[in-house]
Amino acid sequence: MVTPAIRTEGLGKRYGKVDALADLSLQIAPGEVVGYLGPNGAGKTTTIRLLLGLARPTAGRAEIFGSDCQRQTVEAHRRLAYVPGEASLWPSLTGAETLHLLGRVQGRVDTAYRDELIGRFDLDPSKKVRAYSKGNKQKILLIAALMARPDLLVLDEPTSGLDPLMEQAFRHCVHEAREAGQTVFLSSHILSEVEALCDRVGILREGRLVEMGTLAEMRYLSTLTVEATFGGVPPDLAGVAGVKRAVVDGHRVHLEVQGPIEPVVDALAGTGVRELLSREPSLEELFLAHYGPGGAAPVLAASPAGAAGRP
Amino acid sequence: MTDLLIKTPPRDLSLAGRNPGLVVAGQVSRRAARSGTLWGLVFGLFVVVQTLGYVSDYKTQAARDQLARAFGTNVGLNALLGQAHDINTIAGWASWRFVGILTILGSIWGLLTSTRLIRGDEEAGYYELLLAGQTTRGRAGVQAVAGLGAGLLAMFVVTALGTIITGRSASVGFSLGQCLYFSVTLVAGAAMFLAIGALTSQLASTRRGAAAMAGIVFGIAYALRMAADSAPGLHWLVWLSPLGWIEESRPLTDPRPLALLPVLVLLVASTAVTLHLAARRDLGAAAWPGGNSSRPHLALLGGPTGLAVRLMRPAALGWLLAVAGFSVLLGTVAESSTKDITGSKGVAQAIGRLGGQGSSIAAYLGLTFLVLALLIALVSAGQITAMRTEEADGHLQNLLVRAASRTSWFAGRLGLSCLLLVAAGLLAGTGAWAGAASQHSGVRFWSLVTAGLNVVPPGLFLLGLGALALGAWPRRTSAVVYGYLAWSFIVEFAGGVVHTSHWLLDTSVFFHMVPAPATAPDWSSAAVITGLGVLGAVLGGLLLHHRDLQNA
Repeated sequence: MVTPAIRTEGLGKRYGKVDALADLSLQIAPGEVVGYLGPNGAGKTTTIRLLLGLARPTAGRAEIFGSDCQRQTVEAHRRLAYVPGEASLWPSLTGAETLHLLGRVQGRVDTAYRDELIGRFDLDPSKKVRAYSKGNKQKILLIAALMARPDLLVLDEPTSGLDPLMEQAFRHCVHEAREAGQTVFLSSHILSEVEALCDRVGILREGRLVEMGTLAEMRYLSTLTVEATFGGVPPDLAGVAGVKRAVVDGHRVHLEVQGPIEPVVDALAGTGVRELLSREPSLEELFLAHYGPGGAAPVLAASPAGAAGRP
Repeated sequence: MTDLLIKTPPRDLSLAGRNPGLVVAGQVSRRAARSGTLWGLVFGLFVVVQTLGYVSDYKTQAARDQLARAFGTNVGLNALLGQAHDINTIAGWASWRFVGILTILGSIWGLLTSTRLIRGDEEAGYYELLLAGQTTRGRAGVQAVAGLGAGLLAMFVVTALGTIITGRSASVGFSLGQCLYFSVTLVAGAAMFLAIGALTSQLASTRRGAAAMAGIVFGIAYALRMAADSAPGLHWLVWLSPLGWIEESRPLTDPRPLALLPVLVLLVASTAVTLHLAARRDLGAAAWPGGNSSRPHLALLGGPTGLAVRLMRPAALGWLLAVAGFSVLLGTVAESSTKDITGSKGVAQAIGRLGGQGSSIAAYLGLTFLVLALLIALVSAGQITAMRTEEADGHLQNLLVRAASRTSWFAGRLGLSCLLLVAAGLLAGTGAWAGAASQHSGVRFWSLVTAGLNVVPPGLFLLGLGALALGAWPRRTSAVVYGYLAWSFIVEFAGGVVHTSHWLLDTSVFFHMVPAPATAPDWSSAAVITGLGVLGAVLGGLLLHHRDLQNA
């Protein structure tokens, strides 16, 4: 059996009376690229700090490639590289000196790849860190992590401060890492980035993992969006089997359908429908669906016509 | 679906405060006043307790005359605290004792406070936010200086309350005017070094750099004042030292307000330069020229310990130079400082009270080495604070998420600090010997080297205490080490004269250090102090290993 890149069992962290993270059990296989989503304060950074051994869990345990994150921290760290969201580097060192230092502490560096990354990210390594912009400091940390070609990349908001061109360069590097068999654990707010890069996605809500799966699985379990435009007044579709929500906007109806779509298609037959669009939910919609009241989709407002259906 | 938009009618914005352009002043003055009030309270209590202690311990004029004979002619104490005048009176004793001690504490408070509130906040990025509001760099500079002024005012008011309460008591009998003038001189050191710290905050790009620059100014000022008070022929040096100006103001015995004129000039001049630079330099940049790019220098960048050596190198070299220079000065003036008092019964009594014996040169050096002990303890406090800053700034995290363990980082940093302290001790002894030998004083090399090593254990103890604080209460590390250092300093320098209870004296780490070379070092006592430091470090390491890493 292959040792998981990341494995947690009932992992939890409590600050006073607040559960920053509760009962997190997940397993990430080597070579997977996993996105980790959640709003501010959901527990993403807490999870990463626990995986890195920077914080002590109040419950459960975590392993990196079979090494306990608390007891075998250094062994675990030999297999991973981490990029924090906020770059805090030694201001008196130059970029080149910082990369040299971080490489030495990491224990391994692909120097040819490092030089290639410096070119790709368009970094001037002769400048002192205090003279770098926020984005350039972030590039240093990205290069420092990637140049070690670690088995696991733990990335916490890695592209904050990067311009769109550099963000593309970052995505290219993650694709390369995946092709090289490296595992990537990516915490991000940029949903398009996660959607483009990740095989699986985990969603955190108030310190608990509420969803974990591939995008296809999540879409299958989620609702399908259907928009229908009618020639006249739309029919009442709120009672049709599978319709979880219906919002009327003039001659248009916006439906969220769960399960088979046939009952909706049957109900639309002979109603003068002129245009029919259906699409799977985007990651953004899946994400937002978890952050309405009680974890339900957000309540949509009724149109001024007042003909809104209710689930 | 435009109807999803929530249409909110425009509302009038309410004002968040009456003077949005004065936010910087509010921020700085609030924190400076809080700290100033606290230290003013320490100053005031010190004046109250010590003066009433003097009155009750030395009830008769004969007892006070005896005290004056023992301490008034003691060149070592005069060098440490300033020249004593009429210390057989309450006014003379209070003037000498409090101005000497509180000026040093106030100066250190001043330079640490202003560099923290100006350069420290700028380094942390707070000013970027504040300057995006309704103010400019120039106005923010004015406000920051005004905020520091508020802190000084708070310190003055609380200190003045203490002196008035003491002075107006029947057994003391100072006039209100005397009390107020006395209070001005007590906080004058704080005022000058607030201004100097504000100026160095414009010159250096980091808080540590700004504090080091101001610290060098303080060190030079103190060394000059000390040399001036060591020998009559050198007394003219007192006018070259800002601390000397305060000494010359002689608040309660022979008031010379004109001596405070240079203090005022220094305040005005450094404030003017500070405001000029603050309005013209880029935010975050230093007025002192420094390149923003260079060829890579990879030596010492092989791991956390090498990195620590590289980062602490400038400050460590500065401290070592200060210790070496200071000890050479002490050794050089030892002969001339003591030639008129050899065989003095007063000196013998003073040394005897501290448990020592020996020649007057050895006696002089024994007392003045206390200052070297304080300097080395300051090095120790600086090292621990630097370790905490590494954690608070997130720099340590960059190492610990790689193949570096907390234990190796902690042990490496403490090991380096110990080496630095021992090197400082050896330099102190060697420097003092070199100075004394240049004057053919006849003090033996080995006795001064061991005297130098004798001042290291208090620093090691403080290092251990700081390590324990770092493990247990990381955000209070700086307060614990500097607070304990100030406490030890006050107890040691004040407790020796007024009959303080023994348990109180025991709380000062300096009290457990014998005045070598006046007496042979007590290595068993040194071993206990060092052992306690090691214990603190081990406990601190264990606690650090088991706690979360904590940013600022």
